[in-house]
Amino acid sequence: MSSDTKIACVMVGLPARGKTYIAQKVCRYLQWLSVSTKVFNVGNYRRKLHGAHQMHSFFDPNNKEGEIARREAAAEALKDMLRWFEVENGTVAIFDATNSTRERRTFILNHCKKQNIQVIFIETVCQDENLILQNIMDVKLSSPDYKDMDPEKAAEDFRARISHYEEAYETITENDFTYIKLINVGSQVVINLIQGYLQSRIVYYLMNLHIMPRSIFFSRHGESIFNLLGKIGGDSDLSPRGRKYANALPKLIHENLGNQPLTVWTSTMRRTIQTSEQLPYPKLQWKALDELDAGVCDGMTYEEIEERYPEDYANRDEDKFNYRYRGGESYRDVVLRLEPVIMELERQQNILIVGHQAILRCIYAYFHNLPHDELPYIKIPLHTVIKLTPKAYGCAEVRYRVEIDAVDTHRPKPQPKPPKPVINGNSISSSNLTNVAS
Amino acid sequence: MAAQLYKTTSGRLFHAGQIAIITVGLPARGKTHVARSLCRYLRWLGVHTKVFSVGNYRRQAMGTAASLPHDFFNPENHETAEARHKIATECLQDMIIWLQEGGQVGIYDASNTTQDRRKEIHDTLISHNVHPVFIESICDKPEIIETNIRSVKITSPDYIGWDPEEAVKDYWSRINNHLSHYETITTMELNFVKMINVGERIIVNNVKGYLQSRIVYYLMNLHISPRIIYFARSGESMNEVSQRADAELSPTGIRYAQTLKRFLKTLRERERKERKEQGWGDDERMLTIWTSALRRSYQTAKPFLDEGYTVQQRPLLGEINLGEVDSLTVEEIKAKFPEEYVKQQKDPYHHRYPRAESYQDLAVRIESIILELEHEKNDVLIIANETVLRCLYAYLFDRPEDEIPRIAIPRNYLIEIIPSAYGCRETRMEIVDTFDQSIPILADLSNSGKG
Repeated sequence: MSSDTKIACVMVGLPARGKTYIAQKVCRYLQWLSVSTKVFNVGNYRRKLHGAHQMHSFFDPNNKEGEIARREAAAEALKDMLRWFEVENGTVAIFDATNSTRERRTFILNHCKKQNIQVIFIETVCQDENLILQNIMDVKLSSPDYKDMDPEKAAEDFRARISHYEEAYETITENDFTYIKLINVGSQVVINLIQGYLQSRIVYYLMNLHIMPRSIFFSRHGESIFNLLGKIGGDSDLSPRGRKYANALPKLIHENLGNQPLTVWTSTMRRTIQTSEQLPYPKLQWKALDELDAGVCDGMTYEEIEERYPEDYANRDEDKFNYRYRGGESYRDVVLRLEPVIMELERQQNILIVGHQAILRCIYAYFHNLPHDELPYIKIPLHTVIKLTPKAYGCAEVRYRVEIDAVDTHRPKPQPKPPKPVINGNSISSSNLTNVAS
Repeated sequence: MAAQLYKTTSGRLFHAGQIAIITVGLPARGKTHVARSLCRYLRWLGVHTKVFSVGNYRRQAMGTAASLPHDFFNPENHETAEARHKIATECLQDMIIWLQEGGQVGIYDASNTTQDRRKEIHDTLISHNVHPVFIESICDKPEIIETNIRSVKITSPDYIGWDPEEAVKDYWSRINNHLSHYETITTMELNFVKMINVGERIIVNNVKGYLQSRIVYYLMNLHISPRIIYFARSGESMNEVSQRADAELSPTGIRYAQTLKRFLKTLRERERKERKEQGWGDDERMLTIWTSALRRSYQTAKPFLDEGYTVQQRPLLGEINLGEVDSLTVEEIKAKFPEEYVKQQKDPYHHRYPRAESYQDLAVRIESIILELEHEKNDVLIIANETVLRCLYAYLFDRPEDEIPRIAIPRNYLIEIIPSAYGCRETRMEIVDTFDQSIPILADLSNSGKG
């Protein structure tokens, strides 16, 4: 994508159609890929301006006062979004509101056009009453709008709110607009006038999302010989303690999952393959899951690196996410190569990834939306299974520690030191040079 | 963005059954373009894929269109309808047999314009455990159709020796024959993709599964606007032995980078002038340069950067990872990894030295670059290592896996690639400092008919 691309994803759809879910997911995915992205939720503006606890009559199209108030909230959110593009040089904004009339959509489009912002409308259509009801129960009743209200009453009020919107709802038929229409959680998709690679990436991502309940398990390989020696990289075998962990893993997973189906993903390295050996599930090896390549430092201890490449060592601690080992990779590079893994994870159901520290940090950061400067310091200890269960907003997490000792390979973020001049070319930058998240 | 593909012992993929892609649409709607491009992409991904073209079967059985009665394609003509149906069925049967014998994706290239015909195909495939996906190409812009007829159809084997205007007229009448019988897909139980006006609008219905979703994504990125792709290798570096050293350009490498920039600029100016003279209009197309994140690659682009061109670093374009054989000579490899060396010689595409990437690993890694390249409308110069350029080249020219590690990408040569509906054309030019009309051309390997 070129550096001056600006895209507004404008959500369209009745309440309880999963708009906010999609908005959050897309935001998380793009931020993870280093695309500057922000969600502008009109509901939050409305609550700020007019308070929560508005009853459904507020949303009645015949209620002039309510309509003016709602329009005010939308205008305020739009203003902030346009300012964000202008001042903070944002790349993708997600405008999360119902935007259910042609008039409103044209209004937004015209404002964006003036600032050279491409607009893609994302409409979610759902005809499955059960899904809608489930969404109301799971998400809407816990929203600030219905705090402290009887759930039955709240559900009733929310349905009344939906029916107000239904009166005025016009599905997208504007074929000169760029849009994607997701019908019944992707069973039908209409894609119109997509422009640019980034838009096509967003569309592809949307097409791969599903909302079936499932869990994703992470485990690092069991302790390896290199772990014991304090060396990084390499392709060593498991230590005796690591083998014990491999033997204990099947029981832990089975206790958790019962007889549900599961697929195990490993890297192509010995230590992850050995760790998964006892697991009675289908297994796949991914080259993309191989540990961060430490280049010339592969097979060294941190002390050796500090001694032989003191500048590199210092640079790495300064900006660990962007630091690229000479002839090797940075965390940023690893995120790019893990993108297909994330896409496939979105499509799959129960998965156990037996992986490596840096790799699992990157995947973990995606699911928990952690910023890049924290990512390289996430704690993923050995001999621990992490279970993530995706929920409407974010993931629930449980950690299971297996009582088999292992070395601690976590290096905490060092205390800030006075900045040093960058000497080698790793941080080359120039106005025309853009690093591209492919 | 492709997930790694896994073959089971049957040679098929781990997470997909057998799939049939059935094209639907009137003549000259770009069905064959879609079929061929998809086939090229899937084969490059390592999926066992083959196109079954009813048109080719018909030509084989009955000769070219010129030798056919005028109303052969008229659906009202029951006599020929039977003959056409017989040929189409034979082609379908062949595809099913091929799938049963280990094929993964069969692409059935025919018009399949009626509900009845599609139902028949659907039911036959289902009864053989093949998963059908219909891809309908729709076009309501006569100018796109006319361009397609003129650029593709009248050069087809059916019209060899015809007067072009006559051929165009004949082709329109063939389309009109179908028109009254054409039924667009409305059966919502089918798995289908509708492509309207070459991807302006795409409707995807009930398409699930890994390969299916890859196919849709690929179709989303396909376009037919004219553009040029250039390949050039990175300049020589201070350390040509170790890839890990990530060395700076050598003085020779720096000179090469400057020459490359001057050479390409002059070439583009000349080509622009030629296009103008040939009546294609005066189009100043943008050029973007893609490099890897390795010093020898992005430093080769520096002269372009200095002149204000857009240079984009893509870490995914980094050369094949040599793992433990990095900085070893062939003799040293033989001595240190004798067994691996033998395996590598036997299957250089799939073989992986310890800790290294195979060519297949590399192809999987750069797959998102392929999609981006398909999507790109600007001209692009890719400056990278030969291993990466080989994989990209193999995609564009539909080269089989076992050839990829041997594709010649010589230093000091610029490869110019022009994509067209049915394949790519290439010209190789030595990168020399002064550019004149007598430029030495290594070879003009036209590939337009292949694939």
